[in-house]
Amino acid sequence: MKMPHLSKRQRTLVQCAPFNDERIGDRTMRAAVFRVKKTEEFSHQRAFDQALANLVQAIAIPNTVTEWLSKGTFVAAPRRTWRQVILNPVVLAIGIAVGVIAGIFVFKLLERLNEFPGEPTAKRLLTLASSTKPVLLDPVKTDAGALGDFFFMKHRLPHYDVPAEFADLKTLGCRVFDDEEGQQIAQIWLVEKKMQFFLFPADRDLKTGAVKHFTGWRYVDQDRWTGAVQEKNGVCFMAAVRGGENDLRKYLDKPKE
Amino acid sequence: MSFYSKSVTFGFSGLQKNSLPNQNLPQLYRFCFLMLGDAAKAQEVFESVMHDAALRAAQGELPKDRLWLFNDARWRCLEASESGLQPEPVEMEEHEIAATAPAQIAHLDPNQLAIWISAAPDPQRTALALFYLDEFDHEEVLALTELKTAELARLIANARQEFQAWLNATVPPEENLEH
Repeated sequence: MKMPHLSKRQRTLVQCAPFNDERIGDRTMRAAVFRVKKTEEFSHQRAFDQALANLVQAIAIPNTVTEWLSKGTFVAAPRRTWRQVILNPVVLAIGIAVGVIAGIFVFKLLERLNEFPGEPTAKRLLTLASSTKPVLLDPVKTDAGALGDFFFMKHRLPHYDVPAEFADLKTLGCRVFDDEEGQQIAQIWLVEKKMQFFLFPADRDLKTGAVKHFTGWRYVDQDRWTGAVQEKNGVCFMAAVRGGENDLRKYLDKPKE
Repeated sequence: MSFYSKSVTFGFSGLQKNSLPNQNLPQLYRFCFLMLGDAAKAQEVFESVMHDAALRAAQGELPKDRLWLFNDARWRCLEASESGLQPEPVEMEEHEIAATAPAQIAHLDPNQLAIWISAAPDPQRTALALFYLDEFDHEEVLALTELKTAELARLIANARQEFQAWLNATVPPEENLEH
């Protein structure tokens, strides 16, 4: 077979191609060799190279050289960088798994830290807030702070007071109703941002009947509504607004007069 | 922190072991022999390379480069070949590679080949020694010889034709056919 037409690059690669195919790692060289493999000229080249290589392998090895064989190897192990270690699939998989577990753990921990007595009731009321229409309420236009007396006088509900932070806000209406657990809930509708207030009995210890107190404001969210809850004198107050914590925080951060 | 493990296997105590693929020490010796064309000199260079390697290993300073033993041996061989008789630079005849070449080569002694290669100027000498050692792939040969593919190809192709001419003079094809 005649030598096919090769580019200059291919001719170069064929000239220096290792005669042992296993030593040809380069794809271009492999392709060039493949093209000329059946030609007479290349067969002669290969046979020539192979014969010389056989002669090289026939070089006698002195005993002193073979003695070194028992003494071992002389190449340092490749230094593994942090990047190589991290990109190792096993390490990567373990890392991701640990990350996910740690994420879930932190999430659960934060959730647990934010829990407070009465949270289930607060969440239920947030769902209610998202579906309540103002027409369901008795129209009452006053300051929210004034409704504490109203609840006490009309419904015999002591300590159903709106905290000072929200006392100045104007109301549209209110109502008192029994929830599914038989607790009396006060609901107030406000002018501002369609905000709603809820007042409901704080959780109690089932054995002793003592109120489960908690301090400060706690946030709770449900159905894109957020509530800020505070417990005082056995009654929980919740300001509910459609939005996030930031929508409520500005009222709570306001300096008390 | 690095994950560097000392990686030397030795017969003598006090040094850590490794399980890396062996450096092919007989091939290292053959390389020295091809570079120098003299068994005694080759053994001397081989020993010096190995002693140096043992020292470096004891100090934990082994290079990471897999080819370092051959690289070190190359420069030692070139240094060693500077002393003594030097081949005169001559224009060598070139013949096309013949179909009879393998049969002609079969009549040669490894020493003759080593003398022929060691007489070649460097980097052709190193290129030929490494190429016919059949120990390294193309990229490794390029790295060790510090040549580009085109240069390596030219040196090897020329050497083939020069060797064929020398072969024709040393072991004529007609004589070869008689055997």
